[in-house]
Amino acid sequence: MLAVSGWLFVRRTLLLTRLVRAGKPVERFSDMPARVRSEAVVVLAQKKLLQRLIPGLMHAFIFWGFLVLFPTILLAVAWVVAREPSLRSSSPLGWLERQGWYALLADVFVVLVLVGVATALLIRKVQRPARFQGSHRGEADLILALIAGVVTTLLLWHASLIAADLNPWPAGWSPVSNALSTLLRTGTIADVLERVFVWTHVLLILGFLAYLPHSKHLHIAVAAINVFFGRTRAGGRLEPLRFDAEEEAELRFGAGTVSDLTWKQALDAMSCTECGRCQDACPAWATGKALSPKLLVMGLRDQLFAEGPGVLAGAEATPLVPSAVTDEVVWDCVTCGACVQECPVSIEHIDHIVDLRRHLVMVDSRFPGEAEPMLRDVERASNPWGKPQAERAAWAEGLDLRVLKPGSRPPDLLYWVGCAGSFDERARDSVVATARLLRRAGFDLAILGPRESCTGDPARRMGNEYLFQTLAEQNIRTLDETGARTIVTSCPHCFNTLANEYPDFGGRYEVLHHTELLADLVRGGRLSPAAGEADITYHDSCYLARHNDVVAAPRELVARIGRPLEMAKSGKRTFCCGAGGAHMWMEERASPINEERVRQAAETGADTLAVACPFCTLMLDDGVRQSGRDLRVADVATLLDESVSRREAQVAASAS
Amino acid sequence: MRALVVIERLADGVDELSLQALAFGRGLAGGPDVHALAVGEGGADLAPLLGAHGVSEVHVAEHEAFVSYAPPAVARAVVDLVERLSPGLVLAAGSDRGNEVLARAAAMVELPFAANCVDATTGDPLRVTRQRWGGSLLEEAELAGAPALLTVAPHVVAAAPVDGAEATVDTFTPTLSPDELAVRVVEHVRAEAAGVSLSDANVVVSGGRGTGSAEGFAVLEELAELLRGAVGCSRAVTMAGWRPHTDQVGQTGTKIAPDIYIACGISGATQHMAGCKGAKKILAINVDPEASIMASADYAVIGDLHEVVPAVSAEIRKARGT
Repeated sequence: MLAVSGWLFVRRTLLLTRLVRAGKPVERFSDMPARVRSEAVVVLAQKKLLQRLIPGLMHAFIFWGFLVLFPTILLAVAWVVAREPSLRSSSPLGWLERQGWYALLADVFVVLVLVGVATALLIRKVQRPARFQGSHRGEADLILALIAGVVTTLLLWHASLIAADLNPWPAGWSPVSNALSTLLRTGTIADVLERVFVWTHVLLILGFLAYLPHSKHLHIAVAAINVFFGRTRAGGRLEPLRFDAEEEAELRFGAGTVSDLTWKQALDAMSCTECGRCQDACPAWATGKALSPKLLVMGLRDQLFAEGPGVLAGAEATPLVPSAVTDEVVWDCVTCGACVQECPVSIEHIDHIVDLRRHLVMVDSRFPGEAEPMLRDVERASNPWGKPQAERAAWAEGLDLRVLKPGSRPPDLLYWVGCAGSFDERARDSVVATARLLRRAGFDLAILGPRESCTGDPARRMGNEYLFQTLAEQNIRTLDETGARTIVTSCPHCFNTLANEYPDFGGRYEVLHHTELLADLVRGGRLSPAAGEADITYHDSCYLARHNDVVAAPRELVARIGRPLEMAKSGKRTFCCGAGGAHMWMEERASPINEERVRQAAETGADTLAVACPFCTLMLDDGVRQSGRDLRVADVATLLDESVSRREAQVAASAS
Repeated sequence: MRALVVIERLADGVDELSLQALAFGRGLAGGPDVHALAVGEGGADLAPLLGAHGVSEVHVAEHEAFVSYAPPAVARAVVDLVERLSPGLVLAAGSDRGNEVLARAAAMVELPFAANCVDATTGDPLRVTRQRWGGSLLEEAELAGAPALLTVAPHVVAAAPVDGAEATVDTFTPTLSPDELAVRVVEHVRAEAAGVSLSDANVVVSGGRGTGSAEGFAVLEELAELLRGAVGCSRAVTMAGWRPHTDQVGQTGTKIAPDIYIACGISGATQHMAGCKGAKKILAINVDPEASIMASADYAVIGDLHEVVPAVSAEIRKARGT
């Protein structure tokens, strides 16, 4: 039995290992301390699972139970082989089974695991949350039944040991087993029952062992590894493609087939337990799009398992799109990262989607046609709307900023304005306000003017890595030439690209978002806002809060200029405005994400919807207009500028 | 080398792009062995014209399927000829139809196909340079297999008549399976009765959220008709479902360059203005004097479009005496 089960387990495990090892290279061995930390926090402490309290505790009970009860599995096997303690006495196991405290722990965790299983069944059968839509529900039921079976037979075995007076530990230490044993104390039958229960227990475990790597419950083995190799740097950074790679194996243009997946992506696919937390958090799914991050990963996994063994044997793999994932799904993603934030096993959905896009765009030239003008204009005009570069600094007229020319004195602070702030009427309010505030605080503020160009973010999120890298190299040359070390940005997308992605291409700068810098100045008394009466709800931009942890600074500002109200989805668990992942330049099907977010904002009863991103400004302002609500959408910088001006007027009035 | 060129016919002759493909193919074949495929009745009438462009023999495929455009059927005719003539090269114009027909033919014979080539060098394998990304990127590629299938990007070579004799005519009937008759044009529907397409119109009357409803466009349609222009709209309007996406002017819609763009109730978001920056003059009609569009407008009327637009139409009628 042991041999059959072991063989099934080992054979499958070897195949899975070979599939992972066949993956394309990706750097995941640096930052070891951070990896150990995330193993402790995400796996042992179950941090991401506990983002949802009840399902989190449910899982934690079963998981911690598994850790605590693991030695009992070995003990049971030893008992099946022989009852004589001589076999175990010399090993630590023999010592452990005599400990009263361990017997108590075992009792407690058997009960906790049963509570966990019962809760899981209640969630699945009574509450029936939508996140399980599309998951293998029958498989989950079978696994829960197996877990319940394993711990129940363990409890019965322990009870029968006490009933047959075979218990190596003092019976009084294990109250549940002890109480149960009184029911089994019926002459010699306890002795037989002990054999029955230990055998059933071990057989169930062996069955589980053989079934495990063939099921979605594979995560028991893979998740801890996947978490360990998860990304340690900012969530907004995409893995660069190396077009100059010397080794053929390292050269890839995204993912066209399962053979193009990186080993981490293969691990991701195997780790998915179909819990659907990603699907629940996904703004695309919430507004009726085809994309579900869960179904995406399941689709990739199914194709990997279907084609993987053949590919290992030398067969050609077939395209992932549209068989594993449809074109529509690939383009529905706004790269907001809500799925990545929720995923308890550190699956990196955005990397999968962007790799699929890269292949479609760079190899097949296949992408939503309406986005082509953006790509063309970014390439030819250095901004996504094809505006004349000469007009880039037009907004700054009269604000007394230095426009850096080649050879200018290096600035204390370089303001990277971004295309939206430079060219869009509505987004300009915020950059004008930011520039005014920074000048008021005494900064020698400089801009690049016509020498600033798109950072390449929308091209990169569309999958045009080639265009992105061209822009990155060009911008890094310009920035290095100015001698600027500290950069402040208004656009979270520029912020993310400059701070997290340019270092991969040699551009290293200290990058601040305007909300961070302004909060600093208010804290230090260099800017004094007037307390305001407006009810303000702050919308976190995905690229600021989720991808870059800027959560507190904008809130500090909001609290100084009005009465803050929080939306249900905020901070790192914010809900996208709908513009990310180059969606600013694509048409949206089904119901619009921006209107959904505006609805959520209006629910707070706020009269002002504060934002900190030009694209959020445009999307949410459009959403307000479309839904005809009475909400003012304004950047935190705009609100702060008004407040500081008001305060100055008050001071001037009281002085005169 | 023998070349076979798939010809796209117009009502009264041959499409210019096909003549360009002929010139390209003739140069590449390096000799007079150039065949042409013309489908449908009357193909034989093209023999003098094709001969004057260097075609030695024109093959006319006849079948009732060819009364309208039927891409799989044309592709089958190409494949039939490939089997019969064993050409080294098969070419077509890099038009939508040329690309579709050769893509299908390539799939039938299981050979690679290079679309939108700007240059090619014979040899084994054939080397081509082709356009990607709508022409912003050039790709060098090798094309293995015989025949080599490729289309010629528009306007990279000029059509070049030669002093050729009339081409001989060969008429044949391709062997079409029922599957190959499934895809064909069954009906032509003209978009909008107005007849002026948005991208070609000299006058575009466009409405935004300020129109208030699908019905709100009636006054714009009236004005557009008087000015023989087209009706456009902003993204807000398509999102609301008041007009089809084909009417949308903007970054993600149609880009236009009319003599005058009359923007009614449009705030002028950057994404919208990206679509009409080619307009020579912009007239904005909007209740909001602070609307972004005022920055780009040459003329502006501050007022409700529901009053202003009918008044303009009435004035035009009065001036014309109708």
